[in-house]
Amino acid sequence: MKRLLLFIALVVIASPAPAGAGEEVAKILKNRCASCHDLTGPAPQTIHELWARDAPDLFYAGNKFRREWLVEWLQKPVRIRPAGVNYLRTINSSPTPKPGEKKKNYDVLWGSVLKPLVHIKLDKAQAEEAADALMQLKANTQYLAGMKLDKGAQVGLDKGEVLFDKIYGCLSCHQIEPNYGGYTGPELYTAGKRLQPVFMLSYITRPKNWDPKIWMPNGNVKPGDLQKIVNYLILLSKEDFNAAN
Amino acid sequence: MQPIKFLFAIAALMFVAAPAAQAEEAFLNYKSYCMQCHGMHGKGDGVNVPAMNVRPRDHSDNKYMMTRTNTEIFKAIKYGGPAVNKSVKMPAWGDTFTDEEIHQMVGHIRTLCCEREIIRGVNFK
Repeated sequence: MKRLLLFIALVVIASPAPAGAGEEVAKILKNRCASCHDLTGPAPQTIHELWARDAPDLFYAGNKFRREWLVEWLQKPVRIRPAGVNYLRTINSSPTPKPGEKKKNYDVLWGSVLKPLVHIKLDKAQAEEAADALMQLKANTQYLAGMKLDKGAQVGLDKGEVLFDKIYGCLSCHQIEPNYGGYTGPELYTAGKRLQPVFMLSYITRPKNWDPKIWMPNGNVKPGDLQKIVNYLILLSKEDFNAAN
Repeated sequence: MQPIKFLFAIAALMFVAAPAAQAEEAFLNYKSYCMQCHGMHGKGDGVNVPAMNVRPRDHSDNKYMMTRTNTEIFKAIKYGGPAVNKSVKMPAWGDTFTDEEIHQMVGHIRTLCCEREIIRGVNFK
């Protein structure tokens, strides 16, 4: 086991790009991303650190994202987490109702998350470069070991939604179509496009491995259901959500 | 100060300070993990409520909460709703918190529902 870990560590250390490209890439990340995003890790270890976080951690971006999605998103950034990265800053327990509106009997989102996301926009060439640089950030590779998507474990959208809502209760925090689902987790109707399947498998298995203090619990998902849920999320991301609107 | 008095002072301080630090930690945990569904004031009115088909428990509901023992609340947090015949929408937090933290959390929830009973010294079992 120790040897395996050592090997993985060596691979991680040895893998960054050839020296010439490395400098350029490091500059892009340092200048453009590092003021808000954590590019070096580790993830927040205490609650105070958790609530000081301003933007999603990117130090394992290369193990998390799909490159195509990064390139596209960096050119056209939109909000992924309806309640923001830091939901304590974005909820309000006693909102004043607008004229003619009934008083809400639950906490509501307020402030910056109700406005479009503020994020640097890159052009195509820059986005490609930045995505390349991000894809080299590969921490926590050990948690991906043994994860493999079983494409045979397909479920339809209906059965998938039953798993997602009624059996594991993910819908309480995650949205499976625009404005349908909870707010405190990232939207998941784009997850299949955004995330690598092995990352989804690993993260759902134990969120704590990737982010020790995150407010997503370990759902104790059975291995068979795990494969079905990830296949469902991939299937879901192929839906055209703009068609109905 | 005489050494013996000093020792007494330290002992007294430990009794006061340690539970206070624990209580703060439980409060922070509640705020970070429970609040998203149970609400900023624990009234079962969290921001995720519109997305849920089962309303989260109102922790300030003295009448209902007094029918639950501490053991049951502990079980609900550690193993999730189904462990106490409740909804799957309450997930198991056993991987997020240690047993010690869950005990403190139960204590914190008691301060939300049952302050009068705590003062009276009721045994919550």
